[in-house]
Amino acid sequence: MSTTIEPLAIGPRRTSRRHRTSRRRRTGRPPWLRGPALAGLIVLLAWVVVAITLPLWTPYQPLLPVAARIKGPGWPHILGTDALGRDVFTRVLWGARVSLPVAGAVILAAVVLGTVVGAAAGFLGGWVDAVLMRFVDITMAFPPILLAMAITASLGPSIKNAVIAMIAVWWPIYARLLRAQVIAVRQRDFVDSAVAIGASRWLILRRYVLPMSYTPVLVNATMDFGQVVLLVASLSFIGLGARPPSPEWGAMITEGATNFYQWWIAAGPGMAILLVVLSFNFLGDALRDSFDVKDDS
Amino acid sequence: MFASHRHRLSRSAIAVGAALALLLAACSSSKSSSTASTPGTGATGKQAALIIARGMDINSLDPSRSYCDTCQIFMTAVYETLIGLDKDNKTLVPRLAASWSGNSAQTEFTFKLDPKAKFADGSPVTSTDVKFSWERLKALKGASSYLVGSIDTIDATDPTTVKVTLSAANSAFLAQVNASYLGIMNSKVAQANGATLDPATDKAETWFLSNSAGSGPFTLEAYTAGSELRFKRNDNYWGPNPAKFPEVIMKETQQAVTQRQQLEQGAVDISMQISADVAKGMSGKDITVTKVPSFNFVYLALSPGVKGGEGLTPPVREAIRKALDYKRLVDVTVSGDGRPQASPIPNGFVGTEGLAPPQQDIAGAKNLLADAGVTSLSLDATFPSLNVYGVDFSTAMQEVQTELKAVGITLQLNPIEISVWADKITKDGIPVTMLYFAPDHTDSSQYVQYFGLLPDSQWQTWTKAAAVPAETDLLNQAFATQDAAKRADLYKQLANAMINDQIIIPIVNPDLFLASRSNINGMRYSACCNLDLSQLSRS
Amino acid sequence: MKRYLLRRVAVMPFLLFGIITIVFIVSRLTPANPLAAVVGTRNLSNPAVVAAAKARWGLDQSVPVQYWRYIVNVAHGDLGTSFTTRRPVLSDLWDRLPATLELTITALFIGVTGGVGLGVLAARKRNKLIDHIARLFALIGSSLPAFWAGLLGLYVFYARLSWLPGPGRINPRATPPARITGFFTVDSLLHGDLSTFWSVLLHLVLPASVLGWGVIGIVSRLVRASLLDEFSMEYVRVARAMGLRERAVVNSHALRNALLPTITIVGFAFAYLITGAVLTEIVFSWPGVGSYAVDASRNLDFPAVIGVSALGGGAFLLTNLITDVAYAIADPRIRLS
Repeated sequence: MSTTIEPLAIGPRRTSRRHRTSRRRRTGRPPWLRGPALAGLIVLLAWVVVAITLPLWTPYQPLLPVAARIKGPGWPHILGTDALGRDVFTRVLWGARVSLPVAGAVILAAVVLGTVVGAAAGFLGGWVDAVLMRFVDITMAFPPILLAMAITASLGPSIKNAVIAMIAVWWPIYARLLRAQVIAVRQRDFVDSAVAIGASRWLILRRYVLPMSYTPVLVNATMDFGQVVLLVASLSFIGLGARPPSPEWGAMITEGATNFYQWWIAAGPGMAILLVVLSFNFLGDALRDSFDVKDDS
Repeated sequence: MFASHRHRLSRSAIAVGAALALLLAACSSSKSSSTASTPGTGATGKQAALIIARGMDINSLDPSRSYCDTCQIFMTAVYETLIGLDKDNKTLVPRLAASWSGNSAQTEFTFKLDPKAKFADGSPVTSTDVKFSWERLKALKGASSYLVGSIDTIDATDPTTVKVTLSAANSAFLAQVNASYLGIMNSKVAQANGATLDPATDKAETWFLSNSAGSGPFTLEAYTAGSELRFKRNDNYWGPNPAKFPEVIMKETQQAVTQRQQLEQGAVDISMQISADVAKGMSGKDITVTKVPSFNFVYLALSPGVKGGEGLTPPVREAIRKALDYKRLVDVTVSGDGRPQASPIPNGFVGTEGLAPPQQDIAGAKNLLADAGVTSLSLDATFPSLNVYGVDFSTAMQEVQTELKAVGITLQLNPIEISVWADKITKDGIPVTMLYFAPDHTDSSQYVQYFGLLPDSQWQTWTKAAAVPAETDLLNQAFATQDAAKRADLYKQLANAMINDQIIIPIVNPDLFLASRSNINGMRYSACCNLDLSQLSRS
Repeated sequence: MKRYLLRRVAVMPFLLFGIITIVFIVSRLTPANPLAAVVGTRNLSNPAVVAAAKARWGLDQSVPVQYWRYIVNVAHGDLGTSFTTRRPVLSDLWDRLPATLELTITALFIGVTGGVGLGVLAARKRNKLIDHIARLFALIGSSLPAFWAGLLGLYVFYARLSWLPGPGRINPRATPPARITGFFTVDSLLHGDLSTFWSVLLHLVLPASVLGWGVIGIVSRLVRASLLDEFSMEYVRVARAMGLRERAVVNSHALRNALLPTITIVGFAFAYLITGAVLTEIVFSWPGVGSYAVDASRNLDFPAVIGVSALGGGAFLLTNLITDVAYAIADPRIRLS
């Protein structure tokens, strides 16, 4: 829509881009290697390391009972055991092997799909642009969770279908972003001359558009990563994402809700989500400040 | 400056608020919720409303369409059946019908209605109402219509006499008449509000969501889906079981833990779905928790006839049955508050006397598999991720998976939503799956019709196992006699036949926890009707 | 401005139509069987019952015919009848909307007042300890899974401490006030029933706070950033130099300008609130549109799923429009074209 202000309350981004960030120039390390952002980065790296190496050193299996059912925290089960006698701490750590790849896959697919559609709309223009962008408008007119719920409900609740649903929710943002970049690039003189000497669209895309888009996409993806983790957990919590026995954090909180008095079953996965999302928010904030990405979709 | 700004803001806010209120008031529909003056919080005088916490699964409140556990309670409270069930869960007692008789061939039944019987609006219950209620049940083809499937014709010979002719012998018919879904509605009132005998023209379902037309001890006061179901005492009640509360309110409460908390804090009088784990921690001298055996059960179903189930040959199915540790399954699924069940006919029904409970026999299972030349077998085990009667299917299936692993059978667990499961099992079938059953009435025939390998029975269709003609013969014999000893013998043969089919393997028959404030009397589980609200009182 | 407004409004029905179409197509692609919810598992292989149910709910028609019928009905203001509640979807939504609005409006109130307060505090104590604590609190609010926070709140304040009531809108023993607006707080006051009002208010505290925390996060970050921008401007420095007290500077000058962008955030917060409301309603057994949406999705109640999506989408579009217009009115520098 050709307004000077774009309605920003659409799409899954939960953080405002419109406000003017106070520019504070400091010397030394870039903002994303300082203070909270650095802490976030360290926490995330730790999660990634845990997720990758976990099978090598965990003494317990996430799906097998290892002790009596519903035992409170203690040693060796520092977060106790759940209704089946499985070690909760192991399952919480294992949850990273579900949530992080899922979120990564969603973001990656959304970026790729968004890039293709956005570039197509930007380059081809005309009715292709109009049709694609109206489709983007409609998709973005959904409250994200409602669209995701409608899709997962229809395809059948599973983690795979939750991923499909979230890609469907997220790609339009990147399509708009890319389209804006393409149009911006096309207005430049040197691109005109490139076209004049017979450069293909593919070349222009590769040489000019993609490098320019790299930063805003990275910043957006970082900020969205945490939100995807949150939405995956939410879908699983209401029974439309990962199903038990999967050690997915949202599904584990559902199990914790049925064993309400055994607080330790839900405490771990909740903290895990909070830690991951908080870290991404710290990091995303710092990246945005550092690259001064504006809401230019 | 800021002050004046704030002033302006607040004034406009008030104006907007007032406009909004007016708008909403203008738009709000004329129907208002209950105006009954229930005393406020904490009032538990003898006559105060009874509050029940329950996760409601209501699909409809139209007597010809409703079919759910909560519907059984509702139907029993609001609509009456011709025949009632005594406290022993076996003996049939008069209700709307003062007497009844059947011919020896079990094809014709005659009911004499109690002339005193009258509906909540004061009009008498007549044979026309019985005819209309049952014909509508059959015509609308709702979920409970199979209960009247055997009826051929219904004759209202005179206002108090109903003669029913069946299309085939059915000794279970009287027990089916006792099923709460066969309750009688006031045909005049129902017809005046759109009830017909044709599904294409019937418009009464919506009316039944906020009104009732029965003769039971309660009437429907109001129903808000997802929130509450309110009953009001029927002041015109004619019979022996009048309501002891002016009002009963069932509150939608999904979680067992919430039900427990609300009961402990006195916010509700009865919590209906306390699971074994949650019941364990319940405390307080004001609360009574009774554990009663139920007729509900959760079972494993093996489908040898479907794609991927070819490996489920008779010896393999028997090996699976022998490999399971039934005692541990009861421990894991319901903390030991339940028992194993021998046949698909649950403990306590006719035909189950003296059946030996299933026993684990790992060596026997391994021998069977070795003789059959099966060294390893992997099976798809897609199941609905449900939690019924306190049994979490995921928990149960994971335990089954672990136990079968010990004899070399691998299950690929795949928990899915019930609607997806339903699609898969009706289209392709599922080699190994899990489901539950609760009785609709007190006759053992319902289990044979559902689980037996009769042609086109539910599980014969789903498992695509070959039909067993002997079971059809036995059931027809049982249908043709009213002789108790003979029936017991026939149903025992059927129970054993179904055990030998090795298609349905019951996993656990869970106990039921009835939790209430200690001053509530009359808590009792009924095989036909779940909880009979008219029996409840407060001391 | 007027033309812009007209265009935005004119486009809305098409977007709504698009939403309905997309959900309709998606729901009909389903490999699942909605009849399980309609007839129960026990009747799924009973051909007579299944056929009757299919005919009754129009599922025996081809998908294009179903779609055409649905669109015609929608054009007549009929969103269909829910498979599970057996009532018109529109009545269901009408009955449940006030519960959701009461929750979200309360949460928005908590979020905006708390967020502005926290943002001002953080900006005035910039880079001091209190600023860091306030920012962390805000960021946790927007990183917290609402459903988990709700469970935690129930565990601590209801089950353990008994300070606040449990799930639901009202004490189970109390009778809900007769509907005037559908807002229990407003209705109980209009009926002059203070004890009910108190009970309702207590029931609102926990879910609205859980939901509002996320809004605090969004609003306070924005207020803090805008205030810091304003502080760096000439007029504030002048005011300070003139010896005005800090409080007066903040209140009368900087805050007013800084609050301008907050208007936009309200629309944004609404998006957050819809997501949060769905999850909060589940945790708190809140009989609103959110829990209706979840039930509908689980049961594959197609008419209800489409109805809720249309309502949510419509509300979303409307809020965006109002936000943009309000922003344009408040800030003359913005021109809508």
